Amino acid sequence: MQGYAPILLLLMIAVSLPVLVWTLSRLLRPDFYSKAKYSTYECGITPVTEAREKFNVRYYLIAVMFLVFDVESVFLFPWALQMKELALFGLVEMGIFLFLLLFGYGYIWSKGALTWE
Amino acid sequence: MPMTLTQLVVMALLQIVLLLAFVMMLVPLITFAERKVIAYVQVRLGATRTAGGLWGAQAGRTHKSRTLTGGLNGLMWYLGRVPMLSIFRGLPVFIADAVKLLTKEDIVPEGADKAVFILSPAISVISAFTVFSAVAFAPGALFTFPAWFPIVGGLPFNAFLTDINVGLLFILGISSVGVYGIVLGAWASNSKYPLLGGLRSAAQIISYEVPLTLSLLVPVILTGSLNFNEMARRTATEVHWLAIPLLFVGFFIYTTCAFAETNRVPFDLAEAETELVSGFHTEYTGMKFSFYFLAEYANMILVSALAAGFFLGGHYLLPFGFQTFLMKAGETAWFNQPSILFFLGKVLFLLFVFIWVRATLPRYRYDQLMHVGWKYLIPYTLVLIFVAALIRYIA
Repeated sequence: MQGYAPILLLLMIAVSLPVLVWTLSRLLRPDFYSKAKYSTYECGITPVTEAREKFNVRYYLIAVMFLVFDVESVFLFPWALQMKELALFGLVEMGIFLFLLLFGYGYIWSKGALTWE
Repeated sequence: MPMTLTQLVVMALLQIVLLLAFVMMLVPLITFAERKVIAYVQVRLGATRTAGGLWGAQAGRTHKSRTLTGGLNGLMWYLGRVPMLSIFRGLPVFIADAVKLLTKEDIVPEGADKAVFILSPAISVISAFTVFSAVAFAPGALFTFPAWFPIVGGLPFNAFLTDINVGLLFILGISSVGVYGIVLGAWASNSKYPLLGGLRSAAQIISYEVPLTLSLLVPVILTGSLNFNEMARRTATEVHWLAIPLLFVGFFIYTTCAFAETNRVPFDLAEAETELVSGFHTEYTGMKFSFYFLAEYANMILVSALAAGFFLGGHYLLPFGFQTFLMKAGETAWFNQPSILFFLGKVLFLLFVFIWVRATLPRYRYDQLMHVGWKYLIPYTLVLIFVAALIRYIA
């Protein structure tokens, strides 16, 4: 437990740092309101629509695939740590796991999810 | 000797102050180095003078001025007459940068989600700073406090904040939080360029996080540990000779991913000026912008530290496990001693490589970027892991 106390301390200081610096800059900086200055930037023209519109579904796909591969690396970490103890059993087991994953990987590749145009 | 709670807190505070001072001083120096290195690559001089005094830009004639920047500028100008030191001309520009950012007006656009808009740069910078708690700059103590020192007298001052046994997982976990700052900031701006930039940035960061994590698994497999010190020591001094080419390849894959993770050239699609103005932080001004800026450069320092620690031989002299051969000369030899200087030297060199690459390579296209990440780097790292497992199994 003792090892984690300094992290908590650093976290507290890291949280207070932006607050402090921002407050400091608030005291130093000018603050003049002007309608044009506070409008959304769009190459100098008046913004026409709300920015939060539909966007490409590929970003969602990337997020889903990331989830799969991230969970995979979560599984790989304990195995990588206990390799010597798990020995050949672990190696084969992990081989099967990776093979299944590679199967899915090949599938999304063939479906064109990895191709951007 | 077990420490009391007071000693623990005071010691940690001293370490944190030094750590944050190191990071926050290094960041403006990197930006200055960036200007200079790119200038010299392009056969220019770069920043040679800090803009005059506070009364207008009379740069060049104000070096005898009584103002702070003017006076520093004059000092630097005279220093610059010494041949090798001329590259330090214009050094005070980093102070001027900080002052300027601090005194700039802070604009929250009217359509923006105010709370999220203000909070998200803080998320980025908090995660970027907190990560450093698990980074060890040297395996042991930097020095021991003299006995007369109040509270912490006689205790060693370690070059790491804590020595937790899940160090690498902690680093990966906390540094991933930074992407929330980018996505939320982009969304909260309620503007088209930041939204597109933020989406691109997020997709890029999570895409490259997979091969990054997998390439870091190579030193984990070779050492069987997640502790920063342990991994740095073992990858440097105790690897099987077969693992040396593996670490070499792993280093290049890791570095490629690290460039993408930190949104640096050649993967700085999120800030492609020609298309997206400046990406997710288009609407950010003043101090909030500089939080993003600080986070980006702190992340650069972090990925450099990880690369130096796990692939370039950590706190030892030689990279890629070559130190293993040197170790036969005996542990007492000076070149077999771990040192903070070796580590910092490697980190600074990698930071230079970041700038060097920026000055050399053009930007990728977005489809090429995704292509490289998903179709090349992931299979490569999987093969690398398999080979690493085999070597570990044999050795």
